[in-house]
Amino acid sequence: MSITAKQPVSIKEEKPEKVVSGWKTWHYRHRQAFEGWIILVPILVYFFIFNIVPVLLNFFVSFTNWNGVSTDIKFVGIDNYLQYFKEPYPLIIFNTALFAFFILIVQTTVAFFVALLLNQKVFARGLHRALWYIPTLTSAAVVAQIVVIFIAPYGGVFNAILKSVGISPIIWTTDPFWMRVVIVLFSVWRGMGGPVVLFLAALQGVHPELYEAAKVDGANGRKLLWYITVPLIRPMILFVTVTSIIGGFQIFEAVFLITKGGPFNQTNVMLVQIYSDAFTNNNFGVAGAGAMIMMLILLWFSLISMRLLRQG
Amino acid sequence: MLGANKLSAKTGQMPAAKNKPPFKFSRVFLQLFLVIGSFVMAYPLLYMVLASFSTQKIYAQSTWVPIPDSFYTNNYSRFFSAAGNEVGTWIINTMIRVGWYIIVPGTVAVLAGYVFARLHFRGRDTVFIVLLSSMMVPPIVFLIPTYIMMARTPLAGGNNITGQGGHGFVNEWPALLLPGLVNAFYIFFMRQSYQSIPGDFEEAARVDGASTAQVIVRIYLPMLKAALTVLVIFQFVAIWNDYLWPLIAVSGNRGIYPVALGFQKLIQFYTQTNSATSYPAAFTLSVLATIPPIVLFLFLQRYFIQGVQGFGLKG
Repeated sequence: MSITAKQPVSIKEEKPEKVVSGWKTWHYRHRQAFEGWIILVPILVYFFIFNIVPVLLNFFVSFTNWNGVSTDIKFVGIDNYLQYFKEPYPLIIFNTALFAFFILIVQTTVAFFVALLLNQKVFARGLHRALWYIPTLTSAAVVAQIVVIFIAPYGGVFNAILKSVGISPIIWTTDPFWMRVVIVLFSVWRGMGGPVVLFLAALQGVHPELYEAAKVDGANGRKLLWYITVPLIRPMILFVTVTSIIGGFQIFEAVFLITKGGPFNQTNVMLVQIYSDAFTNNNFGVAGAGAMIMMLILLWFSLISMRLLRQG
Repeated sequence: MLGANKLSAKTGQMPAAKNKPPFKFSRVFLQLFLVIGSFVMAYPLLYMVLASFSTQKIYAQSTWVPIPDSFYTNNYSRFFSAAGNEVGTWIINTMIRVGWYIIVPGTVAVLAGYVFARLHFRGRDTVFIVLLSSMMVPPIVFLIPTYIMMARTPLAGGNNITGQGGHGFVNEWPALLLPGLVNAFYIFFMRQSYQSIPGDFEEAARVDGASTAQVIVRIYLPMLKAALTVLVIFQFVAIWNDYLWPLIAVSGNRGIYPVALGFQKLIQFYTQTNSATSYPAAFTLSVLATIPPIVLFLFLQRYFIQGVQGFGLKG
C-alpha cells in the first residue's frame, strides 16, 4: 500500500479536490469535519435528550412499580414482563397479531391488484388514484369517531341500510366478530393508500419491453404476472409487507375509539392496553414492559425482513 | 429509475406498447371492479360531505346517503359564528404546530442530509447509523417516557429544581412543540435526494467562492423540491392528524387542543349526549378535519408522486 500510495491509482482518496498542496488538502478535509460537527452536535444533543433518554427511561421504568407520581419507586424485577403471561394479556397479544395478520392479507392483496389496474389504461385513472389515496390523508381519530355513528345499534347508518333492504338490524357493538371485522376494515380503508402508491411506483419501473419479449416467447397473462411482474417488484412487496405488519401491530385509534377494547377485551390491542395501563391504571411499570415487548416483536420482524431483502 | 427512462425513451418507436395492458382480463370487468372499489373507498367521505349539508330532518330520513334538498350551510356557520369558539382556536393551534413541525424538522433534515451526503470526516457514518437506529424503535416506546420527562421538567409549570411538585409542561404548549424535532427518516430521505444530485454544481459554486450555507440554500434547495414536497405533505398530514401524543400530553387543557383531539372529543360529545339530532354537526366537523390535508395533497400531487417514485425504487 505505502509503495503505491504516491501513484494516482489509489482510489482511496475520495476527495473531489485532486491536485492541491498537502496543506490545502488538510485544510479542506478539516473544513468538512468542522462544518459537519457544527451541524451535527446540536442535532445529537437533542437526539440524546428526546430519543435516547426516553428509551433508557422506558427500560428502567419497566422494572419498577412506579405509578407515575410517587417518589417511592421499588424495583420489582421482571414482574411487569410476567404480567404479560397472565389474563387478559395473552388475549391482547393474540388480538394484536390477528389484526395485523388480516390487515396485512387484505390490504396487500387488494393494493397489489388495484395498482395493477391503475397501471393500465382505465377510464379516469387520475380520479381513481386520488380516491384510493385520500383515505390515508384523513384523521384516524376523527374518522374512527365517525365510524361509531355508522355502527350505532339504533340510528346507525349500517342498520338503516340493512333495514331498507329488509334484513333485521344487527347489534354490532356487542358482537366480537363484527367488531373485529369493523376494526380490520377501518384499518385497511385508512392504510390502503400507501401500498397502492408504492406498488404503482414499482410497477411503473418495470420495462414494458420485458412483457413484449415474454409475449413473443408465448407467455400468457397469468404467466407474465407470476414470472415477470412479481419477481421484479419483489423488494417492494417485501417492503410493503413489513411496513404493513409494523403498522398493523400499532393500531390505536380504531380500537381506542370504536370498541375501547371490548366486548371483554375481545378486540383489545397492545397499544390501547399500554395506554390504559399508564394513564388509567397508573401502572407505568407494566406499560413500560408492554412498550419493550412491542419493540422486541417489531425488531424481530424488521431483522427478518432485512435478511430476506439481502437474500433477494 | 434513470435506466428505465432512458430505455423507454430509446425505444420510443413503439409507444403503443407502453400503456397496453400486459394481462388479458376482460376490460369491462376490470373497469367495473375498479369503479366499485373506488366507490367503496369514497363512500364514507361522500357520506360525510352530504350529511354535513343536510338538515337534521333530512339526515334522520336517510338510508344509504342523505340527499340534501337545498344548499344548507348552517352546520358550517354554527362553528364559525360564535365569538371565542373552540373550533377556530383548534384549527389555529394545529396550523401553528404544522408550521413548526415542517420548518424545524425540515431544516434539520436539509442540513443533516447535506452533512451525510456531501461532507467526509471520521465519525460521520457512526453518527448516521446511530440516528437511523431510532427508526427501529416504535413510537410507543418514546411516548410514555417523554410524557414523564415533560411532567418532570425542572422549574417548569410549578415544578421545583428536582422536577417535583407541579405539572411541568403537561397541558402546556411546550409539550406540543418540543418532541419529535429530529426525524431520522427525513434525514435519510434528504441524504438520498442529495446523493441523486451530481456534485458538479457544488464544485462550480465553490470555485466562485460560495460558502456552505450559500451552496445549500442557492444550489441544493431548488433541486430538492420533490423531496421537500414529500416532507411537507408527510409532516402536514402527520401533525394535522396527530392524536395519541396530544391525548397523552394536553388532554387537560381544551384551549390548546389540536384539531384531531378537539374534533374527536366534540364528535363524541355530539354522538353520545344529543342522540341522532346532532349527527349532521358531527359530520361537518369530520369534513372540516379532512379537507386541509386533501387539498394540500391534490395541489402538490405531481411533485409528491415524483418524490415517492424516487424513494420507492431506490429503497
